[in-house]
Amino acid sequence: MMISIDMYAYASKLKDINPMEKLALAFITLCVCLWANSIIISLAVLLIMTWSTIYQGGIPGTVYLKLLLIPMGFLILGVLTIAIEITPQPYEFLGSIYFFNFYLGVSKAGLITATQLFFRALGAVSCLYYLSLNTPMMDVMSALRKLRCPKLLVEMMSLIYRFIFVFIATAETMIIAQSSRLGYSGILSGYRSLGTLISSIFIRSYQQADKIYTSLESRGYDGELNVLEQHKAYSLIGYLKVFGINIFLISLTAII
Amino acid sequence: MKKDKAFLILSLTLVLVSQPKSAYGMHIMEGFLPPIWSISWGLIALPFVIHGLYSLRKTIDEAPKLKLLIAMSGAFAFLLSALKIPSVTGSCSHPTGTGLGAVLFGPTIMSVLGLIVLLFQALLLGHGGLTTLGANTFSMAVVGPFVAYAVYIIIRKANGPQWLGVFLAAALGNLSTYMTTSIQLALAFPAEAGGFIASLTKFMSIFALTQIPLSISEGILTVLVIKSIASYANAELPSLKRLIKEA
Repeated sequence: MMISIDMYAYASKLKDINPMEKLALAFITLCVCLWANSIIISLAVLLIMTWSTIYQGGIPGTVYLKLLLIPMGFLILGVLTIAIEITPQPYEFLGSIYFFNFYLGVSKAGLITATQLFFRALGAVSCLYYLSLNTPMMDVMSALRKLRCPKLLVEMMSLIYRFIFVFIATAETMIIAQSSRLGYSGILSGYRSLGTLISSIFIRSYQQADKIYTSLESRGYDGELNVLEQHKAYSLIGYLKVFGINIFLISLTAII
Repeated sequence: MKKDKAFLILSLTLVLVSQPKSAYGMHIMEGFLPPIWSISWGLIALPFVIHGLYSLRKTIDEAPKLKLLIAMSGAFAFLLSALKIPSVTGSCSHPTGTGLGAVLFGPTIMSVLGLIVLLFQALLLGHGGLTTLGANTFSMAVVGPFVAYAVYIIIRKANGPQWLGVFLAAALGNLSTYMTTSIQLALAFPAEAGGFIASLTKFMSIFALTQIPLSISEGILTVLVIKSIASYANAELPSLKRLIKEA
């Protein structure tokens, strides 16, 4: 149950670039992709981001492809639901089927919306993956801190982030132990095992939180955990790249 | 011939819908909502998160120890969303954990924890997204927990058994989350023929197929979890109780 995105983020070749730069590139391009809402712009965004992630970041192509498949279930289901329309009376459909007193059909406008949406979402996901596959979570949090996110929120985030991996290790061991005793062989035993698993993780995490608090307090904890941040050089060229790519995309919209 | 075609399409939809992968974290994905709706839902969710942050600050100032416990709960909620639950229909899906969290910690703290968990899900697991964070926070971290908490309180006030309260809280918390998601999708994508209502019917019926069995599964699971937490964690209950009261 290793979180693969996190693992690749620490191995990325773009890891040492200033996180603000990557955040700016991902987020501004994402906004342009949403605003433009055109198939060509979406494909351009998808290409640029995929190229940056695979060639510049050094993320294996097969891994990237597999990650792109994660939102596919939602995407296909969502797009089909938008494209296929159901009406009691016939409507100006491109094609329709009569079914139980209803017409299932596809209208031209619906089809266009659905296609644009499909590519737009795909382009947007590539922006998200550019950020998450090349930026370790600690850097994302330091960028959030610089963006004046509430201190408490960022602090909770960093605590939660650390605890997640402790839990995953615990849960993994427990799941192996349970499955080797046929804990998940049937639906009923599956429920029972999962219930036990969740509650014992919960109880254990409470005990652990207690212990951590005691050890922190004995070292003079006063409600704040201060850690040194790794300094990442700021580069003008990076921001120029962000600017250039987005000016290119916006002017591409104007031409089309 | 026409009937054959219709049957083919219906069965194809059913297969698609009942695929476990499709039910995998029904957060609205990145880039799915038009900009206007992304911003609007973000603005709607914002006051709840700010209120949650203030109440979290107050809780922590009164009892600093709870900070780590609450952070642990956040990590726990993330882990829950990564687990698969066996569903009644045989497919697997993921618990939302909104019911469990709301019953244990109250809805205000859940809105902050929910936001953080959703951000981590987007960045670490590829579920949900940055531009849809507002919409997902509203459905998953505001509506779900509030409905679950209200249901739980009503059942307990009416002297209903605890298991029933927990079951209904978790099941209705899950259902209301997905109803909100369908409303959000229908508002963003009204149907060409029939507008908002027709679109809502489509999204609702697709979600109903997958989510009604899942909400029942989540209800059963949450009852099991709460029961064993109550019976095994006597030593931990003092701090737990304080957290529940103050949340």
